[in-house]
Amino acid sequence: MERRVKRGVAIYSYSGEYGRTMNLEDCFKDLRDMGATGIEILANSHIDSYPALTDEYVAEWMRLCTAYGVEPVEYGHWIDSRLYRNREISPQEAREKLVNDFQIAHRLGFRILRTKMGVINAELAPMENWREIIESVLPEAEKYDVVMCPEIHLTTVLSDRFVQDYVDFINETGTKNFGLNIDLSVFQNRFDVPGVVVFNPDCKHSQPEEIIPLLPYVKCIHAKFNKMDDDFNELTIPYPEILKILTDYGWEGYLLSEYEGEKKDVPGFVSHELRKQHVMMKRILGY
Amino acid sequence: MYQYDRKGPKRGVALYSYSAEFGLTKTLEDCFEDVHDMGAHGIEILANTHIANYPYPTDEWVENWFRLCDKYEVVPVEYGNWIDSHVLGDRDLTTEESVAMLSRDIRLAHRLGFTVMRTKMPVINDLLEPVKNWREIIKGALPLAEQLNIKMCPEIHTPSNLKGKLVTDFVDFIKETGTKHFGLNIDFSVFRTEFKEGEWVDPNYTPNAPEDIIPLLPYIYCCHAKFINMSEDFRETTIPYPEIIKVMQENGWDGYLLSEYEGADKYDPGYEVGQTLRRHHVMLKNLLGD
Amino acid sequence: MLEADVIQYRGFRNIERDGKAVGFQICVRSDYYRGVWLSQLRPGKVVVDGVTYPKEDVIWEINGKDHTVAELAEAGGEFWRITDVATLKIMKDGGLSQGFHDVSVRFAASCSYMPPFLDQFDEDGDDRSFNGGTYTRKNMIIV
Repeated sequence: MERRVKRGVAIYSYSGEYGRTMNLEDCFKDLRDMGATGIEILANSHIDSYPALTDEYVAEWMRLCTAYGVEPVEYGHWIDSRLYRNREISPQEAREKLVNDFQIAHRLGFRILRTKMGVINAELAPMENWREIIESVLPEAEKYDVVMCPEIHLTTVLSDRFVQDYVDFINETGTKNFGLNIDLSVFQNRFDVPGVVVFNPDCKHSQPEEIIPLLPYVKCIHAKFNKMDDDFNELTIPYPEILKILTDYGWEGYLLSEYEGEKKDVPGFVSHELRKQHVMMKRILGY
Repeated sequence: MYQYDRKGPKRGVALYSYSAEFGLTKTLEDCFEDVHDMGAHGIEILANTHIANYPYPTDEWVENWFRLCDKYEVVPVEYGNWIDSHVLGDRDLTTEESVAMLSRDIRLAHRLGFTVMRTKMPVINDLLEPVKNWREIIKGALPLAEQLNIKMCPEIHTPSNLKGKLVTDFVDFIKETGTKHFGLNIDFSVFRTEFKEGEWVDPNYTPNAPEDIIPLLPYIYCCHAKFINMSEDFRETTIPYPEIIKVMQENGWDGYLLSEYEGADKYDPGYEVGQTLRRHHVMLKNLLGD
Repeated sequence: MLEADVIQYRGFRNIERDGKAVGFQICVRSDYYRGVWLSQLRPGKVVVDGVTYPKEDVIWEINGKDHTVAELAEAGGEFWRITDVATLKIMKDGGLSQGFHDVSVRFAASCSYMPPFLDQFDEDGDDRSFNGGTYTRKNMIIV
């Protein structure tokens, strides 16, 4: 069977243990156990010399990727528009930090960036000058061969205006260096399951088929999950329907597991939940 | 290398105390920083536990070891090793094989700057009597220990008694050979007088009085400051610490008291032995007046 | 490795100069899953045994460099990693007394990807925000 949809892990999932009971290599070991072949790191969390990048870190990174059969998939970084308390950052300030991230990502072997933008309202619409900032760094993004992808995440739904704005931006500029990361939380339709951490119980959600027209722009998916049962079903997000659409429409890319449920700080708990989720995805995908 | 010049009994920590946390939530450096917080200046490691890639640490590891000692103002005091004569299962190591094992540890202890070893003997019964050929093993290693200025010290631990045959045999050996490179590590468990109601007490155990240590002091190069229960007002409730320390001070003993906690509760989830050690060091600091 | 609590037992000690205690220090880890630029920090008050030290009295040592809270607000190019502690230093003649102490430290991190109405924090207050609050650890020991 052709393996277009691939399994990976966003090691954000380990944030309750990272630096306390787990280090970077422990995360890689877990990935190999699950047969996951791709990884997302967060620049601000998992690079111990950030915002610099040391030769030692690069060497260790390459060693880990080789030793555990894992490829760098997505590099999480931020445009911290409220970097200073009393003013928004200038496009020039944003640009400097973005180019630094491009260079680091490129050196570590990442092509996809989850570019988290500052937001201005409860629907999580991005800061007003996002086009200006993104356009100003497109040449560097091309140079370093990276694709910036804002993450579409609950409480946003796929029909929100600014999602279309991103698509329009891609079409108007014709850029290959901007795309989307869809977080499957946008399909979350259950908020009443015990053990699920609920941010907003009245949240809207999208239907699985709404992703179809966006697929050409989707470079990466956050396989968000909140609660696995012991029969390997996710209880809040319609995984079978979503994964069927991805395979039926020939989407190619990584599902990066992201656990956002309870007990993240209980040693071993998240490792166990991730394994359950990968059993589910393996069964649905057939590999 | 860092030196601590104070004379008399001094405060240190046996990293064995961290056995529930080491490698899980604490690195070697975390332990050093804890020791530094307590104002203690001595450390005991267990070779088999705390040296990465034991018995062949890398040069990088050794370099880092000295960096830690300097940064946290800690003296390498005691190197815990084992003569594992029973390692093969079907036969005991020969004397020559045991000497070779012991010599390897002497060299490594020296490389790391230690001068005292807690040399755990292989035992043959529940009185903790050592193997019959212990004299030959130690004699075989003495020339190297002398050359590298290492003092090998078996640990005298409950239920052994300071006046018992085990100790007498060791002291006789020291007198016969005249060696300065074999001595004793006294674990303060031999002074324990208080037990909880219903707590199991070894029938072979009789507590020593603090002054029982006096005739042995010339042969003691290190002590395990074993403690069982620290009260909220910083007293050890089972071992007569004030009396023991007074005896040691008045008789001019010079060396390190290495705090060692082995309460089973240290394996409880979330237990932080560093807090227990800090309590112990509040008491020791006040008793020693350092 | 860091301790699970935000306030670390490790690193809690008096600061000595010429053999005399001139203050004390408290180490904290970040409770946030990502490291932050220092200007995103919202440093607040420190309380020890009921005595409040206003944020202006606290020096934050990060990456080996001391910062006042005013300096933190401008330090948008310097970064606090989640695997490092910040050492909070407070000058006080004689330091803290030997024995037990209850310690509270208040801080948060600003977060641009959250709606602005949620990205609020009162450094001098007592409420929690989604990304910070007052952290307390009791019975910390000064030896």
